[in-house]
Amino acid sequence: AACARSGQRVLHVDSRNYYGGNWASFSFSGLLSWIKENQQKTDINDECEDWRKLILENEEVISLSKKDKTIQHVEDFCFGDQDSAEDVEEAGALPKLPVFGASGAEGVAQESEKECPPVESAVPEVESAEPEKATGTEPASAMEGNDTEITSENESSHSAALGESTLESGKTEAAPSEISAQEPKKITYSQIVREGRRFNIDLVSKLLYSRGLLIDLLIKSNVSRYAEFKNATRILAFREGKVEQVPCSRADVFNSRQLTMVEKRMLMKFLTFCLDYEQHPDEYQDYENSTFAQFLRTRKLTPSLQHFILHSIAMVSETDCSTLEGLQATKKFLQCLGRYGNTPFLFPLYGQGEIPQCFCRMCAVFGGIYCLRHSVQCLVVDKESGRCKAIVDHFGQRISANYFIVEDSYLSESVCTNVCYRQISRAVLITDQSVLNTDSEQQVSILTVPPVDLGKPAVCVIELCSSTMTCMKDTYLVHLTCPSTKTAREDLEPVVQKLFNLNTEKETNNEELEKPRVLWAVYFNMRDSSGVDKNSYDGLPSNVYVCSGPDSALGNDCAVKQAETIFQEMFPTEEFCPPPPNPEDIIYDEDEIVPEESGFSNSAETKPESSTEEGSSGDSTAVKKEDNEE
Amino acid sequence: MSMEDYDFLFKIVLIGNAGVGKTCLVRRFTQGLFPPGQGATIGVDFMIKTVEINGEKVKLQIWDTAGQERFRSITQSYYRSANALILTYDITCEESFRCLPEWLREIEQYASNKVITVLVGNKIDLADKREVSQQRAAEFSEAQDMYYLETSAKESDNVEKLFLDLACRLISEARQNTLVNNVSSPLPGEGKSISYLTCCNFN
Repeated sequence: AACARSGQRVLHVDSRNYYGGNWASFSFSGLLSWIKENQQKTDINDECEDWRKLILENEEVISLSKKDKTIQHVEDFCFGDQDSAEDVEEAGALPKLPVFGASGAEGVAQESEKECPPVESAVPEVESAEPEKATGTEPASAMEGNDTEITSENESSHSAALGESTLESGKTEAAPSEISAQEPKKITYSQIVREGRRFNIDLVSKLLYSRGLLIDLLIKSNVSRYAEFKNATRILAFREGKVEQVPCSRADVFNSRQLTMVEKRMLMKFLTFCLDYEQHPDEYQDYENSTFAQFLRTRKLTPSLQHFILHSIAMVSETDCSTLEGLQATKKFLQCLGRYGNTPFLFPLYGQGEIPQCFCRMCAVFGGIYCLRHSVQCLVVDKESGRCKAIVDHFGQRISANYFIVEDSYLSESVCTNVCYRQISRAVLITDQSVLNTDSEQQVSILTVPPVDLGKPAVCVIELCSSTMTCMKDTYLVHLTCPSTKTAREDLEPVVQKLFNLNTEKETNNEELEKPRVLWAVYFNMRDSSGVDKNSYDGLPSNVYVCSGPDSALGNDCAVKQAETIFQEMFPTEEFCPPPPNPEDIIYDEDEIVPEESGFSNSAETKPESSTEEGSSGDSTAVKKEDNEE
Repeated sequence: MSMEDYDFLFKIVLIGNAGVGKTCLVRRFTQGLFPPGQGATIGVDFMIKTVEINGEKVKLQIWDTAGQERFRSITQSYYRSANALILTYDITCEESFRCLPEWLREIEQYASNKVITVLVGNKIDLADKREVSQQRAAEFSEAQDMYYLETSAKESDNVEKLFLDLACRLISEARQNTLVNNVSSPLPGEGKSISYLTCCNFN
């Protein structure tokens, strides 16, 4: 997206029908389709090879992978009452929209297509027209019947009055009687399905450090105007089988009831030291070779304080984090405190999946073209120069460009043979209560659960409430993340069992009653392609840049750094995501939009269609394939 | 943007097929001009026009699609926290009318429940090329519970009316909401925009 901002022509092609790849968020039904998609192991058969004739003699082909293999071991479980679940439809799913005007009838017939797999659906409805045709006189003709929704299941059409339809659709099935007043908090699976669009379930679970690189970038580029944020409201710790709130700001520390006066003073003293630890090398230099945990033990802190600092503030490993790293992490946490609230973290409303979309919006505003549901067969490499010249898409159309950015998941196995990937273990739960109930039920909490066995990774738990617009009322969305050692379920289920009640109503014993009940859960492993050195990919031309999928860290710094690095490599002299002109300051010429600063010399040149035209490899054309962030 | 210079701020979002004249509508309204032979929309994020209605300053933030509608690749975040949607079709283009149900589905998926939707048939200056009758559109909008209007961005017919009527409805809606003070699910827009918040430090 940064490319478009500095006047480059950008085409973004993605075989998926949603934005953001593995960074995306889904509604409940959308997530169910995604699960199905990733559980299917069948490979897509290779259809026609017609496009091969487009390859000239002096060119070679690097095929791209057709199937996204970054997600593995998807297992989903439902713990809620499933009584009427089978025939439940999401709210607003009326059978079909009445079409007015006889001639309109055929046009929308395809809408009721029940299932439209999100990935690699070749979009048969589209005439084999070239995309640029769409910019001509009849723009939409090629797009007829495409299902543009992320969640295609069961939502065939629009219902008149949205708000009320929630209630209305309840009529079609045996409405669960529990909705009545006696058990107001009991949510059934059918309710989750019906309220499915209230969910925005992230595939990656992250928070924004309020002084992190992403926030800086969002503010600098003014992309922040596309999104809204909520402060994480509390930091939790898990100690001796109990969930506790961690006091971290000055006010928290003084108001805390769990700490003694002495502890308060110790903690404040230590945190104040951490803020400018560089000024006091004498305090820690003897411990530079030991771990942060060992260092903490020497600081006259009680065990509970040590636990808070190590796991919940610094959020570092007990066994292999050095003193310096620990101090840095603590300092980063403290510096982020108070910028927007009482914790150092922000969460975007509607989920983390909004962030890539916001950058895509900025890109589009500056002329980037977005084609979802549009896959790429191969990269075309010039034998002589060794540079990539073009791509061939699934219509067999050649698109030329000077720069190519490919997401790791699109690279075929032959390119990645020498690449060693890490994995991320993820779990997403829908629960009926918070892990720590307080007077306010609207809390955004982050909890680090230390590893059971030393040396294993700690599990990061983020609990979202319904006011983050990621889950329906009276439920909580819980994300668990850790670097994988085994399958996601093996890695995370022990933690889930400690924190939640996995039993159905009847078999629950008293001890379990206090814990939140899991209504629905999914586990999956996601490939962590961050930190892969570009040289370990086999035979990629120098003008093909690889961007990785999400990493396992809590913040977004890695993705921002990577985007900036790629940008700097391509355009060393350009500024990365400069602030846009104030909309009120844009000067309009006759029929030409010229923002005050340079970058747009002439509207004819910036017209996006030229970038997709065959052979028009203008100096500034950048084909960008699925660059997820920024 | 200080809080004092307006009484209400509304986000209005335009959608509809490419080439139906969305950008022209906005520019006619905000700048009073009709750009001939405009290509696809580039570089425009949203435009702002402050109008006065019954003595109250209403700031309208009108968002354009940034060309993402051409390949049906509009981001969901575009719809978030919109107070009103203007669904536009071209009266001389049957196709643009036929796509309306698809747009409605998108709206239903991503927009807030409380959003006000207006159906606009643009380009009535080209009446001799009309393909979509007023009656069909009126029936359609009635069935979908939408307000309906035909405009010409070129001749400036009904453009002013479209936005001012919308502003009036948004104001009365906003008044009702504050009166009822609804306790239901939190409204979109409740979160804070990061750039407007001030900084304070630990210590």
